[in-house]
Amino acid sequence: MGNNTSGLGGAPPGGDGKDDKDKKKDKPKYEQPPPPTTRIGRRKRKAAGPNASTKLPVIYPTSRCKLKYLRMQRVHDHLLLEEEYVENQERIRKAKAQNTTTPASAGGDSDALDRNADERSRVDDMRGSPMGVGNLEEMIDDDHAIVSSATGPEYYVSIMSFVDKDLLEPGASILLHHKSVSVVGVLTDDADPLVSVMKLDKAPTESYADIGGLEQQIQEVREAVELPLLHPELYEEMGIKPPKGVILYGGPGTGKTLLAKAVANQTSATFLRIVGSELIQKYLGDGPRLVRQIFQVAAEHAPSIVFIDEIDAIGTKRYESTSGGEREVQRTMLELLNQLDGFDDRGDVKVILATNKIDTLDPALIRPGRIDRKILFENPDRMSPATPPSTNANNANPNAENTKKKIFTLHTSKMSLNDDVELDEFINQKDDLSGADIKAICSEAGLMALRERRMRVQMADFRSARERVMKTKTEGEPEGLYL
Amino acid sequence: MAKENGVPTAAEKGKGKMEDEKPSDDPQKQDDAKKDKDGKPIANGKPGEEPLEEELNEEDQNLKNELEMLVARLQESDTSLYIPALDAIKDFIKTSTSSMTAVPKPLKFLRPHYEDLTKTFEQWPEGKEKEHLADVLSVLGMTQGDEEKLDTLKYRLLAPSEDLGSWGHEYVRHLALEIGQDYQRRMTDDEDAQDLVELARTLVPYFLTHNAEADAVDILSELERIQEIPQYLDENTYPRVCLYMVSMVNLLTYPEDQQFLRTAHDIYKSYNKLPQAVVLAIRLNDTDLIHQDFDSTKDLALKKQMAILVARQQIWLEPSSGAETDEELVACLSNAKLPDYFKTLAKELNILEPKLPEEIYKSHLESTRTAGLTNIDSARHNLASAFVNAFTNAGFGKDKMMLVEGEKTSWVWKTKDDGMMSTAASLGVLLQWDSINGLDKVNPFLYAEDDQIKAGAFLAVGIMNSGIRDETDSSISLLGVEESLGAKSVQIRMASIMGLGLAYANTNKEDLLELLLPIVEDTSLDMQLSAMAALSLGLIFVGSSNDRVSEAIITTLLDEERQKQLKDKWTRFMSLGLALLFFGRQEEVEVILETLKAIDHPMAKPAAVLAEVCAWAGTGTVLKLQELLHLCNEHIEDGDDKKGDELIQTYAVLGLSLISMGEEVGQEMVLRQFGHLMHYGEANIRKAVPLAMGLISPSNPQMKVYDTLSRYTHDNDNDVAINAIFAMGLLGAGTNNARLAQLLRQLASYYHRDQNSLFMVRIAQGLLHMGKGTMSINPFHTDRQILSRVATAGLLTVLVAMIDAKSFILAESHYLLYFIVTAMHPRFLVTLDEDLKPLQVNVRVGQAVDVVGQAGRPKTITGWQTQSTPVLLAYGERAELEDEQYISLASNLEGLVILRKNPVWEEG
Repeated sequence: MGNNTSGLGGAPPGGDGKDDKDKKKDKPKYEQPPPPTTRIGRRKRKAAGPNASTKLPVIYPTSRCKLKYLRMQRVHDHLLLEEEYVENQERIRKAKAQNTTTPASAGGDSDALDRNADERSRVDDMRGSPMGVGNLEEMIDDDHAIVSSATGPEYYVSIMSFVDKDLLEPGASILLHHKSVSVVGVLTDDADPLVSVMKLDKAPTESYADIGGLEQQIQEVREAVELPLLHPELYEEMGIKPPKGVILYGGPGTGKTLLAKAVANQTSATFLRIVGSELIQKYLGDGPRLVRQIFQVAAEHAPSIVFIDEIDAIGTKRYESTSGGEREVQRTMLELLNQLDGFDDRGDVKVILATNKIDTLDPALIRPGRIDRKILFENPDRMSPATPPSTNANNANPNAENTKKKIFTLHTSKMSLNDDVELDEFINQKDDLSGADIKAICSEAGLMALRERRMRVQMADFRSARERVMKTKTEGEPEGLYL
Repeated sequence: MAKENGVPTAAEKGKGKMEDEKPSDDPQKQDDAKKDKDGKPIANGKPGEEPLEEELNEEDQNLKNELEMLVARLQESDTSLYIPALDAIKDFIKTSTSSMTAVPKPLKFLRPHYEDLTKTFEQWPEGKEKEHLADVLSVLGMTQGDEEKLDTLKYRLLAPSEDLGSWGHEYVRHLALEIGQDYQRRMTDDEDAQDLVELARTLVPYFLTHNAEADAVDILSELERIQEIPQYLDENTYPRVCLYMVSMVNLLTYPEDQQFLRTAHDIYKSYNKLPQAVVLAIRLNDTDLIHQDFDSTKDLALKKQMAILVARQQIWLEPSSGAETDEELVACLSNAKLPDYFKTLAKELNILEPKLPEEIYKSHLESTRTAGLTNIDSARHNLASAFVNAFTNAGFGKDKMMLVEGEKTSWVWKTKDDGMMSTAASLGVLLQWDSINGLDKVNPFLYAEDDQIKAGAFLAVGIMNSGIRDETDSSISLLGVEESLGAKSVQIRMASIMGLGLAYANTNKEDLLELLLPIVEDTSLDMQLSAMAALSLGLIFVGSSNDRVSEAIITTLLDEERQKQLKDKWTRFMSLGLALLFFGRQEEVEVILETLKAIDHPMAKPAAVLAEVCAWAGTGTVLKLQELLHLCNEHIEDGDDKKGDELIQTYAVLGLSLISMGEEVGQEMVLRQFGHLMHYGEANIRKAVPLAMGLISPSNPQMKVYDTLSRYTHDNDNDVAINAIFAMGLLGAGTNNARLAQLLRQLASYYHRDQNSLFMVRIAQGLLHMGKGTMSINPFHTDRQILSRVATAGLLTVLVAMIDAKSFILAESHYLLYFIVTAMHPRFLVTLDEDLKPLQVNVRVGQAVDVVGQAGRPKTITGWQTQSTPVLLAYGERAELEDEQYISLASNLEGLVILRKNPVWEEG
């Protein structure tokens, strides 16, 4: 029958393939194989998910109102209709199949399952093992192609009928039969394995609760990154485009990476993390390609958040350079520029960059539109940005100390402290301490106590720990040498 | 959640979040998720579970303590303190502010006390205090997750308040939601809801002043009181409200959509936007309303503009009574100047030069192996060329094949038999709308000796007059007389009947009843003639549910003597004629459906399906779609007498697209459905799917549609392939789409041996280049708002004929293709001055943007180019004037638009 001759591309619903096979078996007479798709050889559209023709219409307006509700409902109704129709047809088809086959094999579903497994194993037999991995060089006609294997020679081979020809395209990785070298399968995932490593499968343990202070920063990040993914309609109602990305900058140890971890912990979006230096690759063009792939993976798994730590590794200002390596780094950045705000709309991909040298970054990288929000991280004992300088000193002081105190209490909350420990002493001192320094003091104090085999950390430990930390801290940057 | 009127206190900002992050973050996440569903923040989690020992910073602690103290005070017995305490709480709530991501603090702290407070509330005596407390509880009720209780509303009703807006936008929205829910409940329980209505009335002005027109409309529509909205509107708010209401109409069910349209119409009228009002009146298909709109202005130019709009829909209004009947106004009403304007456009675009079919085929671009193989001079091929020539040069009144000097050289003589009729009739298409000049040119053919040519000439007269109204009624005097309508030759009679139908479509002319009804009723006549008469009557009385016609058709179907004829292939046009009578009548069709059920004949059921889909055409009603799909469920074994059942399914498929074409979401969704139908359906369904796809987006070549169609053109089933080719023609009709042209050329060389398919490819090519790319057959016009009944009826007729292409279009009845002329209309924008002379101005033409419900004043077009009129507008394009030198009298720049000089414009 002509049933298979032309369906809307990709329209047959899931589970249909199985039934097709059943049907084939039920009807012994020769059935024409499905016609080759016209798309062979052309690069497929990189749209993620279902075929463009089966995509659901976009619903406007995005603000919440009855109109939107009605339109959504209309889509829903139509989908129900579709489901009903397809179900009915499948039922009819099954009933028919049962009528035509002899009642002896009225085993029902289990029978079908058996047959399926049977067919699959037969396909596996045909594929043989081991299979070689090769490259598709060129499609000759519907069932012949030129392939090359890693060992060198190119072959003109046939393509097995069970291979999904939609997936075949020049340059695709394919599986080859070990003897006949015919194409027996396609390796679909063409993204670099490097990229999939970057996808965060296990969320970090740090949550927002593990951050001391930084309320302002957290709020800004959430508004710019999480909220657009969760409630795009809020921005629509206001008539603005949600920010695309943020850059976190500030001195070392102020919690930039920590905040990013917390975002990763909290969000349900795909979280991709990379370090800027990872993007510098050995071969020309590899860096930009990696950037492209990262954003491609991000778009496929949208909504997603891309976090690039230490962006200054590739994002420094451009200048005339003779070194090829330097130029390659710059090209990598150019690719990043394009991905951030280039020709294609990225949709639900948000970017978080982190650096501690924002002044060295290329201005094109952090212009609004690419990175809409710049979030400054400061050491806790400076005026907290939450308190504008205009408020009086009485109000401001406890505030900043609060932050410091919070960090201290965070780090000491799991330590066993002696009763004499008075953290306020450190909090009130006017040291230039970053969050990381405070953490160092706490762990140093813990180490001191360990050294003396004490079970509790005493105030004295803290004091000497502070001395040591301050000392090592100032050692790094010789004080007053140039002043 | 930010209170819009709250004063941000710097010290509070961003604080106290850390401490409660751990316990409250998770609930907040769910909270966020909840928001998605119902759009309201509902804090989750039971208050008791919150760890009491969470650290609060001092300020929050203070706030908490203070609130707790206030709550405690309320539970004490000292009544004098109640009011100050409540005021203090209110103050806290109103002034609190916070980020968008968190619940305001006072609400959070008060949440644990909600239960207590409600208990306290119960105990208090009636009085001012109680009202105040209810006020507070109403706001707190918003934070309680219980959607069933509708606490916000409950307490709001107990506390008559003056200033709801001060609680913030979020609160008002929440309240509106609960009002809607409660109203539904009360309606089903048959309770009085007057208090809800009163409350809602206080909300509406708030919404309107706060840029939330959508909310205002929503709540009134929930309360089924949309007609009350005009009183709340003013100069600034009405356009957005109307826009929102009008775009909702397509999705509403029967009585409500009419109500919306009427309300919007009244609003437009009261703000003196008559063109917009007339457009809606046309949508309502209410002639009285149109007349009223006409009479409500003395402005002649405005009247002319309205006349143009009405004439576009082919509603033939009698010029309203009174002395001011202006000659030009009458001309506008009857579309008489259409050919002139069309020629202005052609002149401006420099396309007056006629084109030969060969210039369309471009066979030199077809792959070489076909060259020399096709028999250049075969009659079939020449017939195709005649059609292509007609469509390509449609309306230009000039070509190189038919309108040449000397009778013998005319293309007619290169075709044979029936071909001659269609070829002669192609004159009508060439001279379309131009009945004054056209008659002279057709005249020689009218007196030809050959019956075929004579028939063709009669048909040409009808085609020529389609889309305009001829004051002199030349068509009736030519076609409605004994020598044409009563001629011996069947063909002449057919042509006359069909010509009358085309020329007088949607006129509801009673005279024609006398002429055509006898033909329907006369049982001694051939089915062909009766069916065609029924169809013509259907066109003339389209959507009027005229009793006499429907009765006549029903009796014919019931007639004993007809029974044996009913199996004739022409019977389908009889039922189509019946169906067209009820075009867009929705419920009214039920009567006929009942009658049809009584008829025991295989043709009755398909007729019922056809009538039903016509009645609901363009409504997008999902329930009807469901019924149609159920019809398609059964698989019909081929063979025995199942012709009728097959037709049911075929009509059902056409109906799918006919019904869902009215609304964009449905249009897109039904395309998916076609994929399934193609996959599972039997031959009769598969045959109709390409046609339905053509019907759903005529003159709108969407990539995804023609991609699929082009796959179907190689289908094993030749019927499917032919229909797909034709559908590709429909899809691109009048667009000159290069991709489609290329696909069709490829098909021409692929099918060069198959005469039938090749013929169809040629027709499709002709359609594609219709009017040299200046035409549209899309039945929607005036910013895709109005569905033209006549156009849809014509398209449907062609498609019904195409269902059995091999027995109609590809056999000897190819002239049925000419029904498409009812849908043909130039897709131009011609700007006119007040004296109806073409006026050249600059306009921006760009892709239309859906601006409904968007914030601010978004651009209505995107990616525009500046051109000077007259210009062509493709599907989905919109135009706007470049500067303000002129003011457009029409609501949107499309078709013929009258411009008026802007009095305040200064050259500069």
